[in-house]
Amino acid sequence: MPKLSDIEGVTLAERFELAACLQCGRCTGGCPMSIRSPLNSRKFLYESLIREDGEALLEREEVWDCTSCRTCSSRCPRELDPAMVMRAVRTVKIEGGRIPKTLMDAMESSLKHGNPWGRSRMKRTAWAEGITVNSIEEDAESERLWFVGCTPAYDPRAMGMAKALARIFEVAGVDYTTLGSEEVCCGSEMLRAGEEGLFEELSEVNKENFAELEFAEVVATSPHCMNTFIADYGLDIPVTHYTQLLAALAAEGKLPFGGESEEVKVAFHDPCYLGKQNSIYDAPRNVLKAVPGVELVEFARSRERSLCCEGGGGRMWIEGMGEGERNAQIRVRDAIEMGVDVIATACPFCLLTLEDAVKTTGSEGKIRIFDIAEIVVNSIDGSERSE
Amino acid sequence: MSVWVVCEHRNGALREVTYELLAHGAALCMGAVTAVILAGPGEGEALAALINGKAERTLLVEDPSMSAFNGTAQALALASLAEGAQEPPKAILGAHSAAGMDWAPTLAGKLSCPAVTDAVALSMEGDSLTATRVVYGGKLQSKIKLGGAKMVIATIRPGSLEDEPKAASVETSIEATSVSLPSELGKRFIAWVEEAAGDVDISQADILVSVGRGIQDKENIDVAEALAEALGATVSCSRPVVDMNWLPKERQVGISGKTVKPKVYIALGISGAFQHATAMKDSAMIIAVNKDPKAPIFQIAHYGIVGDLFKVAPALTAAVRAAKG
Amino acid sequence: MKIAVFVKHVPDVAEADLEVAADGRTLKGAGLPFEMNEWDRFALEEAVLIKDEVGGDLTAFLIGDEAAEESLRRCLAVGADRAVRLWDEALSGANPFEIAAAMRGAVGDDNYDLILCGAQSSDYGYGMGGPLLAEALGINSVALVNKMKVEGSKVLVTRELEGGWGEEVEVNLPAVISIQTGINEPRYVSILGIKKARKKPIDVLDGAGVDLSSEGGKLVVESLQAPPLGEGAEFLEGSPEEVAERCLALLKEAGGVL
Repeated sequence: MPKLSDIEGVTLAERFELAACLQCGRCTGGCPMSIRSPLNSRKFLYESLIREDGEALLEREEVWDCTSCRTCSSRCPRELDPAMVMRAVRTVKIEGGRIPKTLMDAMESSLKHGNPWGRSRMKRTAWAEGITVNSIEEDAESERLWFVGCTPAYDPRAMGMAKALARIFEVAGVDYTTLGSEEVCCGSEMLRAGEEGLFEELSEVNKENFAELEFAEVVATSPHCMNTFIADYGLDIPVTHYTQLLAALAAEGKLPFGGESEEVKVAFHDPCYLGKQNSIYDAPRNVLKAVPGVELVEFARSRERSLCCEGGGGRMWIEGMGEGERNAQIRVRDAIEMGVDVIATACPFCLLTLEDAVKTTGSEGKIRIFDIAEIVVNSIDGSERSE
Repeated sequence: MSVWVVCEHRNGALREVTYELLAHGAALCMGAVTAVILAGPGEGEALAALINGKAERTLLVEDPSMSAFNGTAQALALASLAEGAQEPPKAILGAHSAAGMDWAPTLAGKLSCPAVTDAVALSMEGDSLTATRVVYGGKLQSKIKLGGAKMVIATIRPGSLEDEPKAASVETSIEATSVSLPSELGKRFIAWVEEAAGDVDISQADILVSVGRGIQDKENIDVAEALAEALGATVSCSRPVVDMNWLPKERQVGISGKTVKPKVYIALGISGAFQHATAMKDSAMIIAVNKDPKAPIFQIAHYGIVGDLFKVAPALTAAVRAAKG
Repeated sequence: MKIAVFVKHVPDVAEADLEVAADGRTLKGAGLPFEMNEWDRFALEEAVLIKDEVGGDLTAFLIGDEAAEESLRRCLAVGADRAVRLWDEALSGANPFEIAAAMRGAVGDDNYDLILCGAQSSDYGYGMGGPLLAEALGINSVALVNKMKVEGSKVLVTRELEGGWGEEVEVNLPAVISIQTGINEPRYVSILGIKKARKKPIDVLDGAGVDLSSEGGKLVVESLQAPPLGEGAEFLEGSPEEVAERCLALLKEAGGVL
């Protein structure tokens, strides 16, 4: 097993200037996993400081529980970066080869197939069959790239997001194109899981495509893709989330919502990678408020306090050590208690984890989970969207 | 033209596949099948009795080194028998089993003759044996001719025979002979290892009876357990069942559980959500039971039953029990 | 201890629509993702574990063209001391006997105490390579091993049998052991690790010294084609009892099940 100090030849403490840590515990206090996992950010920093070689950190399997929501780093009064310490420990474990098997499969799949779901590259555009979707593979050119993302492309439930967006773009006359089966995983989750080499391989492919096709902007379905393009790719073009585009369209009156509508009580679940990490809170709400019939209510834990659904940081492929109810289940129960009909999401991981939670809490029929794009398209097309 | 069939046996009984091999062999050479029994001292007679009527002749060799399966001894013995035979066999057939994977290629190396393994069908064209094999994960089929050599070897995938073995009426003659084996084989059987109780690794099971949310409650899992017991299968499940603590984590098939590729995957009340489907879609045979005709599991299942698992599963359990007697 | 492991570079055919090449006998590999054969991953991991435990050196062998070197790099990345690739155009579309002859040629005059390989490969699945190599080397082989322990000049293995049973066998070294999946947990090999491995040399051998004249090699692939199967689930109709009988027939067909 490689050593922690193998990263750049310095100890973790030196690399992340952890001597400044107050041990105040605000990081752990805000960590969405600390409710149910042994993961303790404050302890990680402590151990990397006081232990002679800090190598004991490598034995802490709970490092895989981290969702990379970055609440810890955002709360640190000394502006330290515990989230990156987690990632650094993961990176060393990756080099040592001992990582959760499910994560291994996702990583190897990303390299082999360009997506973490073990699906063939050839099937990446299967979701688009029979509907109008612009693609460079059909010579649709545009300065605006709609980056669909692996999960909306391949997952049967999340596919609803992609189909809804394609429909909205069609109806609103939005100029865009997609990469079709040339699109490969953005690498966000792989990077957060510590696989820097894999992230580099994946991002090189995307960056080459972006440059070659001369895009002037990228709009992403998933906040994870959006976030990594902004934070990690070093692009010099603007990257936005689809809710921002929809909010602009709504404001311009370009979304032809249906007139009649039944009253629906909706609570918006802020995705960590959209809200906490990129401060995008209002755009999704503005879209929802524009939909006729939607009564928007707020969770007690909303905006920067939103309860992480445990989908990020590679967690879609890591079971985690946590005991008891998952955060997504807590979210669903809270929503039902609030009398909410629909939890609206804007991220494919939130969508899937919340849908899962509806089933596991036995709440079918009591609440529904919809992506914002699906809610918009429901209103436009007036048809009942079901899984 | 004769065909030899290498019989597989354990604890005094012939393994099921032996009967299939005898039928395959008989079909190839119009009945001139020799059943070859390699056994420990004193074990042969009872085994030969089980062969009676299913082969023209039984060639019986007993040797202390063959009291338990020993691939080296078996390959040496067969090579000696084949080369020394008055009428050498045109084809030596075996099962593509744990044993067959051990002795057959070794024998092919010793005899330096053409051989194929894991054939699903065999036929004789002129004096050439042609084998059909399933390759590339079952996606393609390959036909191979084993060149006009004097002797060839083929092992057969158990269960691939389409027709039931015909009941023969011939009286099987028994020829006992011996072989001279080196005293030091370099390989020695030590002990049997029984399947560990309690430690379940679903990824090693040949058959899985898997339950999803459709099982509705923890108590109802015995419907699946009964079927599993009848089949000699292992119970597995999808994620929600584990989340609800109805089964332990080690039983979970899914992206965050285990990926499985059993011979048979029986999905009871599993919708086939992607995170589950992706972890079992490579199963050789998937039979899905679900009330919902639109359940995604039917997209990847080989066989689908739209119905109530609480009626179908018990019916299947009863049918299996009746068949096994 | 001198240890060797043989690995193969094979196509991943999951979800792929396979096409047969114009010759009607081989697979069109273009466009398919390739990877190390799954069984060989376990063999490689086992080889590295044994090397770590008893000491010695590990040589990784691969019979394949240049594109197949990715799998050898993986071997170097996890700790193989040397990597050898043998290839010759004559080996295109080779049958198991020809491959085994190539494996024998690659070993040359080296004397290995222990040679590991996967029990079979995911493309053709003959499972013959290891035992045929052993015969060519005049040493013992044992197939389908899911547990092994080196004890001096012997190795104690468990062969995996049907129905969850096992057979403990003691084998004198030198020997070829063919490895079943599940024997260990192959480690993850990071991209960084593979990149570092790209800097290490690979010995490349050609077909000189490979004797392809064995009688056993007289196998002729007559055709490769799609098997007669239907698409999607075939729905079984009828009462639960009727459906159960049909399932029973299907289970027998599945092979080795009943």
